[in-house]
Amino acid sequence: MINPINIGSIDDIDEGEAKVIPSDETGTGEDIAVFHAEDGNFYALNDNCTHETASLADGWIEGTEVECPIHAAKFCLKKGTALCMPATQDARTHKVEVSGNDLLLYPNVPAEPVEA
Amino acid sequence: MSDCTSHTSEANASIGRMSRPEAFTQNIDVSTLVDSDGGLIDRSIYTETSIYAQEQRRIFARSWLFLAHTSQFKKPGDFFTTFMGEDPIIVTMDKTKTIRAYLNSCRHRGVRLCRADAGATKMFTCTYHGWSFDLAGALQSVPNEKAYPEDFDRKQWGLIEVPNVQSYKGLIFGNWDKDAQSLEENLGDMRYYMDAMLDRDPEGTEVMGGVMKWTLEGNWKLAAEQFATDWYHVNMSHASALMVLSPTGRGPKAEIAATPGRQFGSENGHGAGFPTHPKSRFDARPVHEYYDYEALRERLGDAAVEGPMTTGHATVFPNFSYLPVNGSIRVWHPKGPDKMEVWAWVLVDKSMPDEVKDAQRLYNLRTFGPSGIFEADDGENWSEIQAISHGFVTNNVPLNFQMGIGSERNDGTYPGQTSELYSDAAGRAFYRHWSKQMNTPAWHERTEQA
Repeated sequence: MINPINIGSIDDIDEGEAKVIPSDETGTGEDIAVFHAEDGNFYALNDNCTHETASLADGWIEGTEVECPIHAAKFCLKKGTALCMPATQDARTHKVEVSGNDLLLYPNVPAEPVEA
Repeated sequence: MSDCTSHTSEANASIGRMSRPEAFTQNIDVSTLVDSDGGLIDRSIYTETSIYAQEQRRIFARSWLFLAHTSQFKKPGDFFTTFMGEDPIIVTMDKTKTIRAYLNSCRHRGVRLCRADAGATKMFTCTYHGWSFDLAGALQSVPNEKAYPEDFDRKQWGLIEVPNVQSYKGLIFGNWDKDAQSLEENLGDMRYYMDAMLDRDPEGTEVMGGVMKWTLEGNWKLAAEQFATDWYHVNMSHASALMVLSPTGRGPKAEIAATPGRQFGSENGHGAGFPTHPKSRFDARPVHEYYDYEALRERLGDAAVEGPMTTGHATVFPNFSYLPVNGSIRVWHPKGPDKMEVWAWVLVDKSMPDEVKDAQRLYNLRTFGPSGIFEADDGENWSEIQAISHGFVTNNVPLNFQMGIGSERNDGTYPGQTSELYSDAAGRAFYRHWSKQMNTPAWHERTEQA
């Protein structure tokens, strides 16, 4: 059983915004971006775009997708699926849980499958 | 609120790192083409390709050029694309909320980096190969960077920055010369005339809506010079518009048609003219009724309210012009010797209620702008001049700028050297400065010699 890390209050991330959890906190060796999507839910992906070096947390959140700020690749926030060129590799998902007012991140635990 | 902001950068020690043959930059001595004391202008300055190329180097690459209005930028990443001469420019607000301007051309293979007119972004990414630059102009991402040589340094390949960006009361100007005289100094006495439009409201001004853009056949100087110096054309060129706007439908009364007024010409080529007759004004009624003229007299002084605040015209050298009466501010972008692109904004006072702003906007559209009843008259004249100017004999016959020769003086009321309203004094000053700049090496030439 992997213990989640408490990454702060749900109020810390406005809808349409994202927050980066640095690699020294995630323990995965990678920064993780936690997104507050426009469906009201929270999702997490590896922050670095799978195409080139870019922070997806700096990208544009539209619905439940994020568009990379640099080359406009899009990823599904729920499944990490690369939705368009120039990205060809999916982004890695991580489970996020809301517990009361707190946001809990489970690094390296894939998000539970959901209906896209 | 400070009147002026400025940003200078040391980003461009030189334009590029390669040297160019001198044949590319052969300069023409224009001193025989402009007789600014005698009031004669050779028509070749509107038609010669070599002179036009020299203007790009010695006028547009070294003058303060209008970029945008501060109200167009509210948060980091807001951008507006424009031109300085023929150079494409991105103007943006960086993360520290500083307004910065960059050459809008990818450092890799030269594509225009940003093709949108305006918007908000986090990065400027080239659509060709994907080189991506941040709001500070730094090259942040190069796809397949590993294939470049070891000494490839992204720091060397950031955007070319306009090294000198300064603003005056909301108007942002850029200058490629990092050692240029400051904008405020360069404007000098012209500030008094500009203040009559920019400083009516303690809250300042803002621009409304987008930018009207249209193309005209005609050299850019024909328009810039007219807005600096030419009230003379009003009664003739705009006869029908004046009749429509007058209460009787037959045109303004004799005393208004022959209104007194002053015309200012600056040694830096700026010019402004305005009637001083109390009834020579054709502002929009809701705007006229909105203003508290007593308060304006206290704020700006009687002479400004009775003069340059009214139905005036003005040019900031080389290619920014404005009309205080309807808040039209515009740039005459050069597009080859024979063509210009006009970009016009509607400027209003921030404190105006929405309905007054809207009245000003509509009044602006009716009078000036591509569908304006006055603008159409002016465009027709400039295009007509240009259309015939390539005829050999035509081109050899100089134009007359002799009205009011010797009338320039300090009148004790209006700052600087002024002439009568009906005069070519500011036109002569415009071309005197143009000629001086054309015959003086610019910063990029001095760098080459050093």
